[in-house]
Amino acid sequence: MENILLKDNVADLEAYFASGGYRPLKKALSLKPAEIIDEVKKSNLRGRGGAGFPAGLKWSFIPKDAPGPRYLVCNADEGEPGTYKDRELIIKNPHALLEGMAIAGFAIGAGHGYIYIRGEFAAETELLDKAIAAARAKGFIGKNILGSGFDFEIFTHRGAGAYICGEETALLESLEGHKGQPRLKPPFPAVKGLFGCPTVMNNVETLAAIPAIIDKGGEWYASIGIGKSAGTKLFCVSGPVNKPGVYELPLGTPLMELIEKNCGGLKPGKKLKAVIPGGSSTPVLTASEAGAVNLDYESLAAAGSMLGSGAVIVIDDSQCMVKLLQVLARFYHHESCGQCTPCREGCGWIEKILNRFEAGAADEKEIDTLYSVADGMMGRTICPLADAMAMPVISFVKKFRAEFEAHARGETCGKGRGLEDQRTGGSALRSV
Amino acid sequence: MPKLTIDGKSIEVEKGTTLLAAAQQLGVYIPRYCYHPKLSISGNCRMCMVEVEKAPKLLTACSTEAAEGMIVSTTSDKVKAARRDVLEFLLINHPLDCPICDQAGECGLQDYYMDYSLAPSRFRMADKVRREKRRPVGPHLVLDKERCILCTRCVRFCSEVTKTSELEVMERADHSYIGLKEGKALDNGYSLNIADICPVGAFTSRDFRFKSRVWFLKKVPTVCLGCATGCLIEAHHNENIIYRLVPRPNPDTNTWLCDHGRLTYKSVQAGDRLSKGVIKNGLIDLEPALREVASRIDEARTSVAILGSPWLSIEDNAALARLAKDGVKTGSYCFDFNSEQGIKDGILINKDSAPNTSGVKAVGAAHGGIKLAELSRRITAGEIKLVLTEARAAGLIKQALKSAGTRLIVFAANRGEIPPDTYATLPYASYFETPGTFINYQGLRRRTEPPVKAPEGVKPLWAVVNKLAAYSGDSLRLESAEDALEGIELK
Repeated sequence: MENILLKDNVADLEAYFASGGYRPLKKALSLKPAEIIDEVKKSNLRGRGGAGFPAGLKWSFIPKDAPGPRYLVCNADEGEPGTYKDRELIIKNPHALLEGMAIAGFAIGAGHGYIYIRGEFAAETELLDKAIAAARAKGFIGKNILGSGFDFEIFTHRGAGAYICGEETALLESLEGHKGQPRLKPPFPAVKGLFGCPTVMNNVETLAAIPAIIDKGGEWYASIGIGKSAGTKLFCVSGPVNKPGVYELPLGTPLMELIEKNCGGLKPGKKLKAVIPGGSSTPVLTASEAGAVNLDYESLAAAGSMLGSGAVIVIDDSQCMVKLLQVLARFYHHESCGQCTPCREGCGWIEKILNRFEAGAADEKEIDTLYSVADGMMGRTICPLADAMAMPVISFVKKFRAEFEAHARGETCGKGRGLEDQRTGGSALRSV
Repeated sequence: MPKLTIDGKSIEVEKGTTLLAAAQQLGVYIPRYCYHPKLSISGNCRMCMVEVEKAPKLLTACSTEAAEGMIVSTTSDKVKAARRDVLEFLLINHPLDCPICDQAGECGLQDYYMDYSLAPSRFRMADKVRREKRRPVGPHLVLDKERCILCTRCVRFCSEVTKTSELEVMERADHSYIGLKEGKALDNGYSLNIADICPVGAFTSRDFRFKSRVWFLKKVPTVCLGCATGCLIEAHHNENIIYRLVPRPNPDTNTWLCDHGRLTYKSVQAGDRLSKGVIKNGLIDLEPALREVASRIDEARTSVAILGSPWLSIEDNAALARLAKDGVKTGSYCFDFNSEQGIKDGILINKDSAPNTSGVKAVGAAHGGIKLAELSRRITAGEIKLVLTEARAAGLIKQALKSAGTRLIVFAANRGEIPPDTYATLPYASYFETPGTFINYQGLRRRTEPPVKAPEGVKPLWAVVNKLAAYSGDSLRLESAEDALEGIELK
C-alpha cells in the first residue's frame, strides 16, 4: 500500500501543498472541534510514542469549559535507544506534522503548540523552524488561519539531552524551565499540564497521521491494520540486516516480513538470535518468538513484549546478551532522573552486577539477585523508566540464562561484542 | 465523603483526604520518608505504597486520594515486599556509619529496617557510591551526602516554608545529591528545622553534633521564650544539662522553631551564668548580697521604684508588684508594657521580642501601678532614689536612669545582661530551671517546665522577692509560685 506518513518529495511546502497538503486543515476548520475528535476516535489511532493510548480519547479528556489557555505539545524528544523514526518523519514530511498540530490545536481549543525536540536534532530543528516560517507565510499557522478566525502558533524547543524528558510530565517540567523530572499523576496533563493548563501531548508520528485521517475519514484509517491496531506504523530497524532503516507498514505485519522482505534479511553468515521489538525498554523476543509474532499492539502484548516506539533491534548469534544488557544498563543508570528510590538505586545496582558478569567476577547466585532487583523496581515508580530498565533485565535473564551462567563460571563467551564494537558502529544498539 | 476500608476497618473521610491521612485517622501507621504533613507531596521515596483492590500497581498512600469503595491493604505480601525492596534500595549506597552518626537512635533507616526489613545485605561494599561527607552548610548545619536518601524534605522546606530556596537536588540517578545553589548559604533563620525533618543523618545540627547519644536524652515539654510567639517546645536534657530544644508541633502556634529560639537554652549553661550576687562589679555570696539590697531598699522606701518585666513570668512579676504594694509600700511601680505584636516574617518570629508582654498586663490589671512614661518622668525629676527591676527591662528606662543618676538594682540570670552602672544584681532561677506562666501574642497561656535545676542556692525570683521583704521586716507570705498569682485573672 501507499505510505501515509513517509513520503518522498513533500518536504517543501509547495510540494506538500501540490500533493494535497493543507486541504485537510481547511476541511477541519469547517468542522466543529467535537466532530474532529469523533473522527480521530473513529480512526482508532493510538499514540505512537510507545504507550499506544487512543489519541481521540486523549483529546477528549481536555475539560470542555475550563477557563484559560490550553496547550498542544508535540513530543519529538526521540530518545529511546534504537528509535529514529520521528527524525526521519520530520526530515521527509515536516508539514504533515505541522498540519496535524494545527488540526489538533483547533480540536482541543489550543492557541499554542510546542514541538519539544531532542537536543541533538539541531539540523532537524532548523528544518522545522523553516517549515513553520513557510507555513506561517502562507497563513496555515499564525493568526486567523485560512480566514477561519482560528489563531495557532507553533514553537520549537530543544531539549538538553536527558532521556527522561521524553516522558510527558518530565517534558512539561523541562519545557517550563525546570529540571526534567516526571510529575506525580494525577492530575494528568489533560487537566493540569503545561504551565498548569489543560494540555494534550502527542508523538510526532501520531500528529502526522491526523491530516490523512481528516482527509479520508476515520473509518478509512481504521480499516488499515488489524483490530484495535489501526493504521500504519513506522518501524526503525537496526542491527545486522542488509537494509536497516525506517519502514512504514500496516500494523499487524509479521515481524519476519519486516526483517526478511523490507530489510532484506540478515547479513550473510548471520543467524537470528533475538529481537527487541519496540525500543530498548521492551522485553526481548527469542528468534522463535520473533518468528511467530505480528507487529501490532495486541500480538506483541500476547507474546510478552510491546510494540513500543517501533524500534526493532535485531540481534544475531555473534552478540553476547550479557554485554548487550550491560550496555542498556549503563544507559538507564545514566538516564534515571534519580527521583524515585527503586529506579535511582536499582539502575546503578544492575549496572554494577552486570559489570561484574562482564569482568568474570560474578557468581551464579547473582543471576537471581539481578532478577530480583529488576523485579523490585517494576511498577513501583512515578514514571516507567524503572520498568524500562527492569523489563530487558527480566527478559534477558529469563530467556538467555545460560549465557549469564557461562559468564558466572568464568567461561568467556568469546563474542567480545557490545560497547567497544558499538563505538565503531558494529553493534545492534547503534543509537545507544 | 468517600467511604473506604483500610486493613478491614471502615472509615468515611472528607473528600480529598489521602490514603495516608485516612489510615492515620484509623490508627494505621504507614511508613514514609518524603511525606511531611506541612510540606507538599513529592511521592519519591516509595515507602508508603499500599495495595488497593483493582488497581494494577501498588499506589503511594501519600499522594492517592481516598475514593468511594476503595479496599486498601497496608499489610499484604505485595506491600511488605515493596517496603523491603525500598529499604534495600535505600541502604545499598548508605555508608552504614551509625556508630558515628548523630541520627542513630532516631533514624528512619534504622527504625524501618527493624520494623519492615531485617534482610541481610546483598550489595558489595566496594560498589557503594561515595559522596562528600561532613560539609558545613551555613552556621547551623553539617551535610553528609552519603547518608542522604534524597527524600527532598529539606529542599521543599527551603522553597515552601522559608521561601529562600537554597537547596536543590543536583545531578541524576544514584549520583544525585543535595546541594546548595550557587552563591547561597543555608542561613535562613529556620535552618535547624532541616536537621529535625531530615529522616536520616544527612543534615545534623552543628550545635548538637557529637554532644550526646539521643537515647540518653530525657524530654520535657516546655515553652520557647525567645519572643512573644511562645512556641511549644521540648527540651532534651540529661544530668542537668540541656542538649537541644525541638518544636512540639501544635495547631495553635507552631510546627517549626526558629534558630534563635532553639539556641536560647545556651544562656543557662553559659560561662557567665550567675550563681552569686554582684555588687558594683564584685561577686558576693547570695546572703550578703540580699542583705545589702534589702538595706538599700529600706533606706529609700517611698522613693523606691519597682518596674516589672515582659521577660519575667506572671508569678515573678506578681511577686514584684506585691513587694511594691505590701512590702516597700511605694506608689512608684509600673506594670505597663505595650508593644506591637504579630508574626513579622510570616513564619514564627514575633515583632515583640519579649515573651510576656500580655502576661504583665494581667499583673497590672490586678495590682494597678503607674504608666511607664510617668515612671520615667519621676526618675528624671529626681523623685526616685532606687529602681528595682529585671536586667533587660532596665533598658526601657535607660535614658531616664542616665540623666538622674538613680541607683539601679536588677535581677539577672547572666552577667552579660547586667546594664552598665548597675549598683547591685541578684541572680534568679531562669525558666529552664523553674516553672513560670506566660501569655503569648495570641492570648494563650503557656507554662514552662524546668528541664534542669538552678545553680546551688539560686531561687526563683518570687522567692528572692519574698526573702527581700522578710529582711525588711515585711511578710508577703509567698510560699509558692501559685501564692503570687492570687487576685490575678488568667483566661
